[in-house]
Amino acid sequence: MKERLDQYRLNNGMVILGEPMDEVESVSFHFLLPAGNASFPDGCCGAGKVIADWILRGAGIRNNRQLTETLDNLGIHRGSAVTEEHFSLSASLEAGNMIAAMDLFADILIRPRFDDDQFEPSRQLALHELAGLEDDPQHKVMLLTKEQFYPYPYNRPAEGTVEDLQALTPQGCREMIQSRLDWSQCIFTVAGKYDFQAVCDTLEKRFAALSGTGIQRPGFGDRGQRYTHHANEGAQVHIGMMTTAPSIGDDRYYDILAAVSVLSGGMSGRLFTEVREKRGLCYAVGARYQSLKNTAGVSCYTGTMPDKAQEAYDVIRQEFRRLRQGITEEELQRAKIGLKSKLIMQSESTQARSSGIAGDFAYLGRVRALDEIRRRLEKITIQSVQDFLDANPFENFTVVTIGPKKIQP
Amino acid sequence: MQFKHKQLQNGLTLIGEIQPHAQTAAMGFFVRTGSRDETAAISGVSHFLEHMLFKGTETLSWQQVNEAFDGLGASFNAFTGEENTVYFAAVLAEYLPDVAKLWSQLMRPALREEDFNLEKNVILEEIAMYKDMPQFDVVDQARTLHFGSHPCGNSVPGTDESIKAMAVQQMRDYFTKRYAPNNLVVACCGNFDFDVFSSHIEQLCGGWQPVQTDRTISYFEGTRQKKSIRKESLARHHICLLSPSVSMQDPRRFAASLLGMILGDSTGSRYFWSLVDPAIAEVASMQAEAMDGIGAIYSYICCEPTAAQKVMDIVGGIFKDITENGVSEKELQAAKNKVLSTLAIKSEQPMGRLLGLGFNWVYSQEYRTLADDIAAIRSVTVQDVNSLTAEFQPGDFTCLAMGPTA
Repeated sequence: MKERLDQYRLNNGMVILGEPMDEVESVSFHFLLPAGNASFPDGCCGAGKVIADWILRGAGIRNNRQLTETLDNLGIHRGSAVTEEHFSLSASLEAGNMIAAMDLFADILIRPRFDDDQFEPSRQLALHELAGLEDDPQHKVMLLTKEQFYPYPYNRPAEGTVEDLQALTPQGCREMIQSRLDWSQCIFTVAGKYDFQAVCDTLEKRFAALSGTGIQRPGFGDRGQRYTHHANEGAQVHIGMMTTAPSIGDDRYYDILAAVSVLSGGMSGRLFTEVREKRGLCYAVGARYQSLKNTAGVSCYTGTMPDKAQEAYDVIRQEFRRLRQGITEEELQRAKIGLKSKLIMQSESTQARSSGIAGDFAYLGRVRALDEIRRRLEKITIQSVQDFLDANPFENFTVVTIGPKKIQP
Repeated sequence: MQFKHKQLQNGLTLIGEIQPHAQTAAMGFFVRTGSRDETAAISGVSHFLEHMLFKGTETLSWQQVNEAFDGLGASFNAFTGEENTVYFAAVLAEYLPDVAKLWSQLMRPALREEDFNLEKNVILEEIAMYKDMPQFDVVDQARTLHFGSHPCGNSVPGTDESIKAMAVQQMRDYFTKRYAPNNLVVACCGNFDFDVFSSHIEQLCGGWQPVQTDRTISYFEGTRQKKSIRKESLARHHICLLSPSVSMQDPRRFAASLLGMILGDSTGSRYFWSLVDPAIAEVASMQAEAMDGIGAIYSYICCEPTAAQKVMDIVGGIFKDITENGVSEKELQAAKNKVLSTLAIKSEQPMGRLLGLGFNWVYSQEYRTLADDIAAIRSVTVQDVNSLTAEFQPGDFTCLAMGPTA
């Protein structure tokens, strides 16, 4: 893997990182700011969701329609999101329109119109989506699991609550986001076909004079209940589970990836084998590692008909427990190959790379070279995974079920 | 990029697009079979059979199959639709021969009765899962309503009853008829040597015997029926609309897909400005689906139950306007730009090229480069799009709505 990382820092502290990819005609870029839901005041659940929509409804000289039309005309696939820890704006497009796109995105970030009359549709959409979650129990159960698992204030429902959404005001939301956009902590990443000098010049011109607000990362409060059940009349019981694991910056990070891969890395993973293949208890089952900067966990989902829900849950718990009894050399080899392949496949995707670089820098303060990740993956041993599991035996779970029947967790 | 093609004596077609700079390769077996090729007695067999291929061969157990894929670090999967069943994998280029061998072996599965009986539970779970996803359920039922007795209305997963009643021998018979080499296309993209690849496939699959396989092709405009299903457990109102469109063999499919984008893309479309932007509906999308000798335009809309009538009035207004006044040059250009940038992003990876490459051959026996597709999209005119709406009258649709008060 040949790779190069372009780096530049503006005087105000904003970091610019780029990974050129020779053979593509496209480019992806990403702005990441530490203005996530956890940084908002209490009583504003869903504000991030509303702001992420509202911010795209007009910027600079362009009103809502003009901005959307300009973005569409440049063929920009875009996303805006507020997660637990970050506010992000991202774009993927044909490389030729890169600088024009960056200029538009600078307008969205620096000169959003936040017109009062565009606030209500954004709020209404958030309320609709919240109501729509009732018709998507698979998605809902994992959102509830995360809310119950993460400590306060990282547990805030990203979709919001009806009460909080209804109480939001345009003025309140405007101030909430603008006071949290700390340009000294802004990360800009780009991957694909681009001219780094032109990228830096554009960012310098638009962002260098903007300063920081000194926003701080909040600490941890309490976690939610261990088990909750939400009754509905669906066809399946949807089970969400989550258990603690060290976060991404921990030395044992690669051992966690290997352990989760043995559990759920592919069709030979233990969960798929034991829950679906041997027992036919479900269609979908899987576990994955999810990390914020300082807290992380392994989440797991399955959906199963009511009479089989308890057995499916018990088998999943048993498989988490059984990991500690040891993994085989073959399992470890498959885990390593799977993780390495995924890495190389991501290296061919501009979107995966631009968000990967941004995540690395936000969480680790540096970008891991793909080669470094590969070497670290190579170094995982059965013993290192065992040591990790002995210290983190995956015994305590936060559990949420949605469906016509409860389980005994 | 370079295109290669070869047909084996037994009718198996091999196609390849060489991308010498890629680090990965993607390959797939495209089987020309799906729910439209089923009878009511075996409804869901194509999809069930797709699951059964992963259960192994006379010499490979399901555990060995799963371990083999994961041991290659393959990103692999399969899907079944109305007219195709596709098995695909992306791997590091060095593992291509191994994954090609594995898929070739799996194309001649054991179809053991004990595996069949156990996997039935998984299929029934999958059907139950879709029942909890009204966004899928409404489209599935709307398709049946629209196509009526035309085979394109057949359900892909089948029903609880059809799956429970199915016998393994019915699946074996179906397999023999549909997985014949002359009904298969093997496609590969990425960094690989086509001659080496094709002689490897020939060695593995050259001995399979061809069988006469048929598909009844007939064009049907749809029933244009309207139906509402009341389901009190739902929170939202889910609407699916279908109207006729052009087939995969019709060069106007590019114009049809641009029409879908102008009317129903997730940003900047007529649906977007009239329904999503003002928060009347949270989802409103439309896309043209070109199929074998037939086609349809699908819309899916999700809104608050009390907004259902308002949504239908607005949709009616959009169709009326598009039929009477046509699309504008400006909106056509925006749709083109969006499609072109989607193509550029998708083409970054061999896997992004594989399905297009395979389907072009399955439907039309033609190779289309990225440049061909770009040129075809660029050449669509306002007149092309407007003559489609004049011919197909998208405002005269089949409609299925599902909600707590429907």
